[in-house]
Amino acid sequence: MTLARQTAFTPTASPIRQAVDPVYRQIRDLVYKVSGIYKAEEKLYLLADGCARRMKLVKVRTARDYWDHLTAHPSRDGELRQLLNEITIGETYLFRSPPQLDALRKVILPEIVAEKTKQVTKRLRIWSAGCSTGEESYTLAMNMLEESDRLLKGWTVEILATDLNDNSVETAKAGLYGDYALRATTDYFKRKYFSPVDEKKLQVRPEVKKLISFSRLNLQDDSKILFMKGMDIIFCCNVLIYFDGPSKSKVINHFFSNLNFGGYFFLGTSESLVNLNEQFHLVHFPGTIAYWKPSLSSGKL
Amino acid sequence: METKLEQREAMIESVNARIRERVQRIEAMPAIPAVFLPLLKMLSEPAKEVGLDEVVRLISYDNSIAAQCMRVASSPLFGLTHAPTSIKSAVISLGLRRVETILLTCCLGQAFPAKKWALDPVVFWRHSMGCALVCRKLSEKLHAGDAETAYMGGLLHDIGFMVNCLAFPDEFLLAMRQAMQEEVTLDAAELATMGFTHCDTGRALAEKWELSPDLIEIIAHHHAVEQSQRSQPLVALVHLSDLLCRTRGLGYGYYERLRVDLTSDPAWAVLLKAQRELGQLDLVRFSFELDEAVAEICELVCAVLGPAPARA
Repeated sequence: MTLARQTAFTPTASPIRQAVDPVYRQIRDLVYKVSGIYKAEEKLYLLADGCARRMKLVKVRTARDYWDHLTAHPSRDGELRQLLNEITIGETYLFRSPPQLDALRKVILPEIVAEKTKQVTKRLRIWSAGCSTGEESYTLAMNMLEESDRLLKGWTVEILATDLNDNSVETAKAGLYGDYALRATTDYFKRKYFSPVDEKKLQVRPEVKKLISFSRLNLQDDSKILFMKGMDIIFCCNVLIYFDGPSKSKVINHFFSNLNFGGYFFLGTSESLVNLNEQFHLVHFPGTIAYWKPSLSSGKL
Repeated sequence: METKLEQREAMIESVNARIRERVQRIEAMPAIPAVFLPLLKMLSEPAKEVGLDEVVRLISYDNSIAAQCMRVASSPLFGLTHAPTSIKSAVISLGLRRVETILLTCCLGQAFPAKKWALDPVVFWRHSMGCALVCRKLSEKLHAGDAETAYMGGLLHDIGFMVNCLAFPDEFLLAMRQAMQEEVTLDAAELATMGFTHCDTGRALAEKWELSPDLIEIIAHHHAVEQSQRSQPLVALVHLSDLLCRTRGLGYGYYERLRVDLTSDPAWAVLLKAQRELGQLDLVRFSFELDEAVAEICELVCAVLGPAPARA
């Protein structure tokens, strides 16, 4: 595997680069090839930590031996899944990705509103797929409310938030968050959309909750996914990691058909759809990327 | 009776005359190191005709520039692990062409010192250096001819902004304000407020400096690749690199409401036709790698703009 050497902008040693065993760069490339998840150079230590935990469990000593385990051992596929789980252990908080929110409010919403303006019902549907404990869904809802007197005046916004895990869905419905989840939430949003519950927690106000319907949904359940039609925007951040290749492909195809023409699909900030779907168009916005289902008028279908 | 087309052409000519006249007056321009123009000339000649000794001799006239170049050459972005000890050793490790481009980078940094400008020089240089490095990387990946020419194209493509700052300071300040307020692209704001863009002013300077026809083409047409008459794939490469930089944290220091579908951009088709390898490029990974290089690009700009080390 020499991919990293050929492609990196900075092929030689910087202080950070010298600190990591080059084998981890090979593992990073393998992870990217299999999952589309890219661990940037400054996050390589997280990958190394994850590998270290797995190495202990499978009883291999060096990074080189672990590379062999991942590529040549009979249980290599299973081991790679375990490693993926290890390096993507979920941590989430509100307002986690400002570039996604900027792209959504400043570029995508004006575009969708202009596109749909001729339609009788002014309705915007957003799906937060794999919503976990609700942080992303509420962030989206608050941002849509911010536009309710401007771009989205007279529009109905529906956010469908689904997760496989019942407990997560229940926690999400409660909308109670502490300092950790709120560490990127500005005072403006805290004052406007939360009520204090006790010294440590704030609760999302009813007008925000009203926009969202939370439910349990297994993304592998084809029959149920069929009902999620007519989406304008889908967020599915750091979820696809838990799927193997073929099921991931199937889920992505569902997302594509569930989106309206001209709709957008967002993944987590280090994820990509590499080799998974040829129909989506990759679109760059400042600081983020998204996938676009070409509109009928674009002639790109 | 003049036709509309003739009227339009006459108008464009009068704007161009105004630009040329102001560019002529940039003579008061900050001290461009003496080696700059001879270097430019050397770069436009085929590499094999330029001798190592000639470059070393040229640089030895100016110790502070030479020392600064050593600092820049030691950045991992230029591919060395250890700082070279002399221009000669840098040339041996990096090759003549690359050392020439590093020297030019340093000269330009000196030529436009930080002043109260509408466009912050640090921001400007981050974008230009970032674009230069992306152009070089992309050119290497696609085996698209001379990577150092692509680097120069990236480095100089926006030189018109510097001309604007020097020759049209008040007009450009208005354009910059409008761009920031409305979050529109700078070239759109320039057109709306001044009636011409950095492509026009950049071209005037490039012609004055007698840059190579390839570079003039890039400077004049990097926003409208279809208008370029020659070296279209190279102009397309710079155009695409420019867009990539602006969406990956190396823009003009304000939020541009950009939505970039690179593979649908006409420039993509132009470049793809010339370099089939482009079809295999993993754009997402390329972007992620660019993100990793941003911090090093910022450091490099500090080295280029920072005070030159004391003369030996």
